[in-house]
Amino acid sequence: MSLSTTKTAAPPKSAPHEHDSSKAARSNLGLVRPDHTTGWKDWLTTVDHKKIGAMYAIFSLAFLIVGGVEALAIRAQLAFAENNLVSAETYNQLFTMHGTTMVFLAVMPLSSAFFNFLVPLQIGARDVAFPRLNAFSLWTFVAGAIVINLSWIFQAANAFGWFTPIDGRTDIVPSAGWFGYAPLTGDQYSGIGTDFWIFGLQVLGIASVAASLNFIVTIINFRAPGLKMMRLPVFIWMTLITSFLIIFAFPPITVALGELMFDRVFGANFFRVDQGGQPILWQHLFWVFGHPEVYILILPAMGIVSEILPVFSRKPLFGYSLIVFSGAVIGFLGFAVWSHHMFTTGLGKVATAAFSLLTMAIAVPTGVKIFNWIGTLWGGRIKFSVPMVFSLGFIWMFMMGGFSGIMHSAAPADAQQQDSYFVVAHFHYVLIGGSILSLLAGIYFWLPKMVGKMWYGKLGYWVSATVVVGLNVTFFPMHFLGMIGMPRRTHTYLEGTGWQPMNLVCTVGAFILAVGIFLFLWDLIRTIRKGPPAGDDPWDGRTLEWTIPSPPPSYNFARTPIVHSRDPLWAHKHGKASLRIGSVEPDPHGIHMPSQSWFPLLASAGFFVLGLSMALKQAGVPFCGYIAIAGLGITVLGIYLWALEGPGGFHVHPEETNS
Amino acid sequence: MSHAHDTTAPLEHVPTGLDNKKLMMWLFLASDCMFFGTLITTHLVYRKIYENVGVDPIHIFDIELTTASSFILLMSSLFMALAVSAIHKGSIKSFRWNLVGVIIFGSLFLAGQVYEFNHFVTHAGLTISSGTFGSTFYVMTGTHGVHVALGLLWLVSWLCYSFSPRFNAHQHAIDIETAGLYWHFVDIVWIVIFTAVYLIEYV
Amino acid sequence: MSHSADPSMDREFLLAEQKKYFTFMNLAFLMTALTGIELVIIFLPFPGSILIFGSLVFLSLIKFIGVIFWFMHLIYDGKLLTLIFLFGMVLASGTSTALLFIFNSDRVDQTLPFYEEGIIAHEAGPGGH
Ligand code: HEM
Ligand SMILES: [Cu+2]
Repeated sequence: MSLSTTKTAAPPKSAPHEHDSSKAARSNLGLVRPDHTTGWKDWLTTVDHKKIGAMYAIFSLAFLIVGGVEALAIRAQLAFAENNLVSAETYNQLFTMHGTTMVFLAVMPLSSAFFNFLVPLQIGARDVAFPRLNAFSLWTFVAGAIVINLSWIFQAANAFGWFTPIDGRTDIVPSAGWFGYAPLTGDQYSGIGTDFWIFGLQVLGIASVAASLNFIVTIINFRAPGLKMMRLPVFIWMTLITSFLIIFAFPPITVALGELMFDRVFGANFFRVDQGGQPILWQHLFWVFGHPEVYILILPAMGIVSEILPVFSRKPLFGYSLIVFSGAVIGFLGFAVWSHHMFTTGLGKVATAAFSLLTMAIAVPTGVKIFNWIGTLWGGRIKFSVPMVFSLGFIWMFMMGGFSGIMHSAAPADAQQQDSYFVVAHFHYVLIGGSILSLLAGIYFWLPKMVGKMWYGKLGYWVSATVVVGLNVTFFPMHFLGMIGMPRRTHTYLEGTGWQPMNLVCTVGAFILAVGIFLFLWDLIRTIRKGPPAGDDPWDGRTLEWTIPSPPPSYNFARTPIVHSRDPLWAHKHGKASLRIGSVEPDPHGIHMPSQSWFPLLASAGFFVLGLSMALKQAGVPFCGYIAIAGLGITVLGIYLWALEGPGGFHVHPEETNS
Repeated sequence: MSHAHDTTAPLEHVPTGLDNKKLMMWLFLASDCMFFGTLITTHLVYRKIYENVGVDPIHIFDIELTTASSFILLMSSLFMALAVSAIHKGSIKSFRWNLVGVIIFGSLFLAGQVYEFNHFVTHAGLTISSGTFGSTFYVMTGTHGVHVALGLLWLVSWLCYSFSPRFNAHQHAIDIETAGLYWHFVDIVWIVIFTAVYLIEYV
Repeated sequence: MSHSADPSMDREFLLAEQKKYFTFMNLAFLMTALTGIELVIIFLPFPGSILIFGSLVFLSLIKFIGVIFWFMHLIYDGKLLTLIFLFGMVLASGTSTALLFIFNSDRVDQTLPFYEEGIIAHEAGPGGH
């Protein structure tokens, strides 16, 4: 496969150590370790952060397409008044799955792909702190993603009459919105779609938290000598802050989903109004998670842009410490503004005022960052490469989304905007204009490092132009649609509302955007297949990842670098001699590589079985309760085997093989 | 020590001097604060603000039993601290005996909880479907019980493993300490639940 | 294999562990006593429930701190660990307090005729459904 970023290290010539052998060693359990394998076996058992990152990227791009198709179906339905292209029920399923897919299965894992690929490379480490845990996070994410999306298969089976839930309800795909407001998700009002949603998200949460714990430990403990915290690339800082947001924001949603599960599966009353349950509690718990979640989506994007702008302005990032600090403030304040999603629920005067003010306050560090990025451009020798064009697009488009955000922060104004298309416009500007543009910029910037091939031709510029135009044509009119009263999540609208022309414009824009994404995928594939060799440092980069070959060898750094400044490679190339990157004397044993393993995959497979059978149990499929327990058993078994096989490992000798 | 580097692979020097596993456990515990915080808040919101419970907890709670449970968990925490100390000193025997103490007290706590749940269901008719109180009470204390049970599983596994020829006090002390951190955390969650869920009813 | 003869285990280390042993014991006794006091406090015939509530919170706080700093070694360990854990604690307590506050003002005026003793009148039935 051409995306194979690393080749299994060549067998070492001398064998100073018992495990130094190109033949796979046996684990403590006596089983053969899947080291030195190739093909699909290698991909399934890999613990290499670069391959795991590549797989995150592949899966998330696939789900980006799935979510995109859902979006196009939504827009096609709304193109004309009183349209009935899809039924109202299907429409609900489409927007629910679109939101869930884009947030949890496209943007988050694409950010995760960057975390995986870049964190060890930018901090000069061999791998993440816990390589097998990292593989577990990847496969658990895949398990959760498949659980949620399998609901489409069961829905199709239902349409053919092959599968009917015991209660006869046919909403098998989740349909209660990406925020799943109670009591709509109660068992009185929705069928097993909600169960697919609950169990899928629960599994995804485990994956995200496990990955984040891993990244925090890696960033804190695995930095190369001399790479002090205040010398870290901003992307690493934003990864660190995002990871903290994830470990603190996911527990509330885990609890909320758990409570909902108890309501639906075991007859509890958390959100049952007739038994004293308070649906408003769901909203609070969801947004305690939900607002930090939107920063989880944007902070990595800000990190990526902060890496790209200095490279193509050929000057250091303006106000490094301010950018880092405001990132941390955004992360912290992100936990104190959740109720701005609930202004119209009647929070009481004090709470409304407080959340209003805090929301306005959070725009300050956001603005600080924007000024810093502009400051970085100011006076620079700007090179309009494709990543740079995307980054500039990011600044502008993200700012537009920020403006409408600030408009939301005034509670009385928000009372007019809440649940209207104005909000839809806001979050698509920050999510597409913000997260997606920056992630695309990141792909254009780092793909040459990842696969060793360089982009060629002008297609990249066409992609950026099409995406930005499509985005604006789609979402700019939505501000007005919202202002003249079009509600969100509406299946269709009447002839005389006056919403028809702008909706048609939006739909046309959505298809332009889709063309842009299609061109992007084309550019990506042709570059991976036929791009010219990229070389180590195609962009005149500033950070450590550009000091090693593209694609990076499995062990990353033949010698651990010693860093003397921020932007170490820039200082190395253009700075004083004292700032050159040094290197640690290599260990005579060679570089220790962790062994590959089947067991992370096994443990994740258990979660897949558990999630799917719990959802099907709710449909009345026999024995599913037992299968769910068996799934849990598989996970426990996987963890035990993983613990008992021992860490293993072998050594590679890059300097010998190179010379 | 020719095989030192195939264990935890201390390739990279550690800038903070903190062990990776220990650091990760603390991060997880910080995250778990949010987890139990949310559960306890749910309970308090329904119990103390909406108050529509249907049953009066004072009539069904057996505060002496719960106090005994708290004491039991506290003792298990003490044994855990001693077990960690023992393994750091390298005395495996003392480590084992202390760990057995943790496991006995932990199991006693769980037994107490099973008895309590059983009593509430059969004698007081309090089920998970009894208003919001039944739901929040069982789900919250049950989740804590599951944490205890997982901790027991973990510690029993280490007890068994300590008889394996691969077990090495020096090398595994950090793993035991990490498991111990988890165990103590379960104890402090109970300290909070004991006050915020049980004692508060009597004020 | 026993490592008691490990040369790296010097006397100082063993003495420190010995001291820890006494610390742990004393702490356990103290916390047992505090748990006993908690039990007694709630049966005191005091009208001042705020006072009792306050002392309960105070007592559990002491126990909490005892466990995290001594049993969990925070006092002997890197400051970063304390910082991380306390950050989680502060975030959790802050969120919890804010939620309780918001819900407190969210409660519908229960003096309305719609309510009978805090229970929605027409729906108050026996528990369960
Ligand atoms: C200047 C910074 C921002 C401010 C002041 C802000 C403010 C707000 C407010 C008040 C709402 C609630 C609107 C309503 O429902 O009536 C909202 C919704 C939303 N915001 Fe932002 N926002 C900001 C940045 C962001 C960013 C960076 C993202 C994500 C990348 C984001 C994503 C969202 C999403 C997804 C929603 C809608 C959630 C839903 O109802 O489904 N926002 N924003
Ligand atoms: Cu928000």
